[in-house]
Amino acid sequence: MDSRYVQQFKKGSLEMILLCLIAKKETYGYEIITELNNNGAAVLGYAKEGTVYPILYRLQEAGLIQCRIAPSAANGGSKKYYSLTPKGDETLKELISFWEKYTDCVNGFIGDYEQAEVSK
Amino acid sequence: MKEQYIKQAEKELRIPRKAKKVVIRDLNEIFDSALENGETEQQVIDRLGTPKEFAESAAEQLGIDLAASRKSKRIVSSVIALAVAVIAFVLYGTARVRNVPADVIGQADSMTSIKVSDGFNLSAVLLAIGIIAVVAAVMLIVRSISKKRR
Repeated sequence: MDSRYVQQFKKGSLEMILLCLIAKKETYGYEIITELNNNGAAVLGYAKEGTVYPILYRLQEAGLIQCRIAPSAANGGSKKYYSLTPKGDETLKELISFWEKYTDCVNGFIGDYEQAEVSK
Repeated sequence: MKEQYIKQAEKELRIPRKAKKVVIRDLNEIFDSALENGETEQQVIDRLGTPKEFAESAAEQLGIDLAASRKSKRIVSSVIALAVAVIAFVLYGTARVRNVPADVIGQADSMTSIKVSDGFNLSAVLLAIGIIAVVAAVMLIVRSISKKRR
C-alpha cells in the first residue's frame, strides 16, 4: 500500500499534522519526529528528518510558525523550539475546517459506492 | 562521522550563506538530539540519506527565496554592465571630439600626430569596453528572460 496515490495523501496532510503538533505545545525537531513515529508510523510510514525539516523551513518561510533557540541541557548544543504564529493558528483552523468538509464529501462518495456494491 | 557528514552537506548546500548557517545548525541539533536519545550516528545517517540528498531537499524548500536572490543578482549585474557601457561610450565620444582639433593641427606636425594615434588607441579601447559591456548586459537580460519563461 505505498502507491503514488497514497503518497500524495500523505504529502498533502503532513503540513497540517505538523501544525497540529506544534499548536499543541512548543516543541523541537526530535520530539516532533518521535511523536509522528509513535502515533502515526503505522499509517504515515516512518518520519525522517529529511522530510520533516524541509516542511518546517517552508512553514517558517510562510510565516505560519516561529522558532526560538534555547541552549540544550545535556550537551553544549542548542535546540530550536517551534510555535505557531497568529497567522499559523488561523491557517490551521481553516485547514481543519476544510479537512472536515473534505472528508465528509469524500466519505459521501465512498458511501454511495458501497451502497451500490451491496445492492448489486 | 557526524562532523564529516555535516561538512559534506555544507559543501553540497547551494543556498545563501545565512540560510546555510541555519541548516547546518539544525543538522547539529538532529545529531545531538538523536545521540541524547540513545541512537548512534550511523542510525541518524541512515535516516538522513546522503549529505547530497539532505542538502537538496532542504534547498528545494528554501527554493522560493533562492530563485529571487538569483534574479536580483542578475538584475544588479545587468545594470552594472549597462552603466559601464554608458560610461565607456561617453568617454569614447569625448575622446573623439577632443581628437578632431588635434587631428587638424596634427596634419602638419609630427609630434601631434603621435599624440593623435595615442588618443585613437585609447578611444578604441573605450569602444571595445563599451561593446563588451553591452554584449554582457544583453546576454544577462536574455538569460533572465529565458529563465523566467521556463
